[in-house]
Amino acid sequence: MSTLTAGDTTSPTQAAPRQARQPEPLARFWTQLRFMARRDRVRGPVWVVSFVGLVAASAASVVGLYSTPEDLQSYATVAQANAAIKALTGPGYGLDAPTQGAVVMNEVSLYTYVAIALMCIFMLVRHTRAEEETDRAELVRAAPVGRYATLAAAITWVFLLSLAISVGNSIVMVAFGLSAGGSLAYGAATLATAWVFIGVAAVTAQVAASARASLSMAGSVLGFFFLVRAVGDMGNGWMTWLSPIGVAQAIRPFADERWWVLPPLVVLGTALVVAGWMLMGRRDLGAGLMSQRPGPAEASESLDSPFALAVRLQRASATGWLAGITIIAFFMGLVADQADAFADNEAIAELFAQSGQGTITETFLATVVLMLALFASGFTVAAVLRLRSEEIAVRAEPILATPVDRRSWLWSHLGVSVIGSIVLMLSGGLMTGLGYYAVTGDPDQLLALTGASATMAVGLIVLATFTAALFGLSARRSIFAWSSVALVLVVGLLAETLSLPQWVRNVSPFEHLPAMPAASFDLVPVVILLIVAVALEAFAVFALRRRDVG
Amino acid sequence: MDTAIAIENVVKTFGATRALDGLNVEVSTGEVHGYLGPNGAGKSVTIRTLLGLLRHDSGTVRLLGGDPWFDAVDLHHRIAYVPGDVSLWPNLSGGEIIDYFGRLRGDLDTAKRDDLIERFELDPTKKSSTYSKGNRQKVALVTALSSNAELLLLDEPTAGLDPLMETVFQSAIAEAVAEGRTVFLSSHILAEVEKLCDRVTIIRNGRTVLSGTLDDLRTTTRTSIVAATGRPPDGLADEPGVHSVHTDEAGHVHVQVDNAQLADVMRVLASFEIISLVSQPPTLEELFLAEYDVSTPVRNAQMPAPADPEARL
Repeated sequence: MSTLTAGDTTSPTQAAPRQARQPEPLARFWTQLRFMARRDRVRGPVWVVSFVGLVAASAASVVGLYSTPEDLQSYATVAQANAAIKALTGPGYGLDAPTQGAVVMNEVSLYTYVAIALMCIFMLVRHTRAEEETDRAELVRAAPVGRYATLAAAITWVFLLSLAISVGNSIVMVAFGLSAGGSLAYGAATLATAWVFIGVAAVTAQVAASARASLSMAGSVLGFFFLVRAVGDMGNGWMTWLSPIGVAQAIRPFADERWWVLPPLVVLGTALVVAGWMLMGRRDLGAGLMSQRPGPAEASESLDSPFALAVRLQRASATGWLAGITIIAFFMGLVADQADAFADNEAIAELFAQSGQGTITETFLATVVLMLALFASGFTVAAVLRLRSEEIAVRAEPILATPVDRRSWLWSHLGVSVIGSIVLMLSGGLMTGLGYYAVTGDPDQLLALTGASATMAVGLIVLATFTAALFGLSARRSIFAWSSVALVLVVGLLAETLSLPQWVRNVSPFEHLPAMPAASFDLVPVVILLIVAVALEAFAVFALRRRDVG
Repeated sequence: MDTAIAIENVVKTFGATRALDGLNVEVSTGEVHGYLGPNGAGKSVTIRTLLGLLRHDSGTVRLLGGDPWFDAVDLHHRIAYVPGDVSLWPNLSGGEIIDYFGRLRGDLDTAKRDDLIERFELDPTKKSSTYSKGNRQKVALVTALSSNAELLLLDEPTAGLDPLMETVFQSAIAEAVAEGRTVFLSSHILAEVEKLCDRVTIIRNGRTVLSGTLDDLRTTTRTSIVAATGRPPDGLADEPGVHSVHTDEAGHVHVQVDNAQLADVMRVLASFEIISLVSQPPTLEELFLAEYDVSTPVRNAQMPAPADPEARL
């Protein structure tokens, strides 16, 4: 950026002196901020409420399960016994003399920080680069709006959302009777993490060639930092300090809080925000600093059907899901043989006992398979809902103006969802089995787990066809398919904690599938659920053929 | 089959809005039919109904002898479509998208495609997120024009094209017509419709207000005449079929005459010793404006002639 000032001696005849700043770089900042709040009037509160609600539910289950010093001690022993567990939770600050606060933190803090980082990335890119791609930003910038007003308003808006979540999280901890100092430290660590990733997204939004690329670049940074701290936590302690997430955990809420760890995060976040700010002045509206690479002049032979296009459009995100589930599943397999140790805790033993008739390890593995399915349900529903965004973006219309039947078009993204879900589950089961084999040398679970997760995939197929049925009724309202994901998550994870009545649990397809390998395979529920899926698909096609498209 | 499109009394509602309200359109095979109307008149709704994307509430729609809702897939083998607002997959290149649609239609003609890409000066290797509106439009045009469809449904196809590309478009349409194809062209650009179309339909608020060949439309309306006469044309305004008479500073008389009474009025005018005379049929623009604005004199209003009389002399 050039820095000509009034006192500069540069010749005035030099062509169009490039001023470093517009006279009012933040003009209309408040209008932009109010506009973002208006656009997110549903999305914003949903993030805050569901985020704080999930933290509250997790805290409730921990507080309920670990009430005596003996319970806490047995948790601490297990949580520190195994490097793989540390990779998935953190180094276990304060578990030497475990308190409920320290155990809650060990269970929720890592995922709090990852989730808030994701929210910041999504929301910041949504209000900056994604807007530019719709040409709406052009209209805005044609008005007397400062060049930096949108970025500044987006940063402020996402910060305010993060603040609401952080304050909510602190209040939840206080509400569960945990110390005020620790609760405050947890909230502060959440907010500091948010600030760092607001900065990361503010930079990637300037650098990457498209909105989608900014998202995946920022997501890769998050994934990288997650792995760096995992390696650090598993042994190589200093690497924890190279990751903002590791540093955020090192604030140690409820375990002799280290407040001095907070400023470095704030400084890092601020530096990134400033960097994003400066890069913003160097790029064109709608274009990143990295330019779009040219594509092929002709389509490859395989791009010849709506399904082929759906595969093409979704392969990047599906690969991400596959990588995620593979890593998680492998780690879960590694820790499975530690499950016996949990059995000292009566509450946990009871929890396991009611979910199956196998050994504790088998019951744990069955729970892992269920978790993988719950995780994959995000992909399952999102993949079908690509139909929705395609229709809303008027990209369905030209396809349906060609000799493509509505059913084939429905099956394009539905097919990706169903096939992708099966692949995710198979690889999840296989990787869990491999992890288990790596620790125990017992290959028997390899096949059993693959079969178990294939069985659980039937539940995902039901979710996919349910989403398709909603889409058949109405494109816009099909977004409510996400409530089915929320429901299976609540039933799968919190049914006991919340003492849900049986009829509510029965709504989740996963409740009916055999909890293998703890339970033995049962064909009846599998067949019934497949019939349900076929019926939902038929309904989806029936409804879609009857409504207006576009 | 002589009728490519037959729309009779079609009603389509969206909640309380009546987007099509008893619409009638007829397009003969082999013609270029202009479809005009202001924003929100129902042009795009008509085309989406023809594509079987929207289901009309009442009336009948026939497209190439079939029902566009029930026979959608079969009919779509025979039609090609250019949407008004072209939305493309941002991370696919223009070339990939053209080929994809060609394969969906099943008649990808690579020679024709390459020729059109060259004539429209489109760079097919660019990701579609980097295309301007005009370039997105070109992708849609190349897609539709390189097909072998019998019927082209074009929804404001030249919006965003520069004048050079508009010329390319017009010659491509002329070629399509020479091959015996039918073109249904919704447009705002009246000069383009006048140049390309055999017949036009003008709609307003989902109803047909005018339909026919341009000549038909002109004869049902008025001719504007500017004359210099030896004697002041007293009493001319009282003749039947004469409207909005006025005399400008130069002494020229301006008058609108119903075409049915043209011969009689000319006889009367001649009796005032004509020195010079300019007569003009109404332009499409005047026809169009007349349907939408009562203040224009072409059809039924008694208003002064346009403020720029020199333009007529």
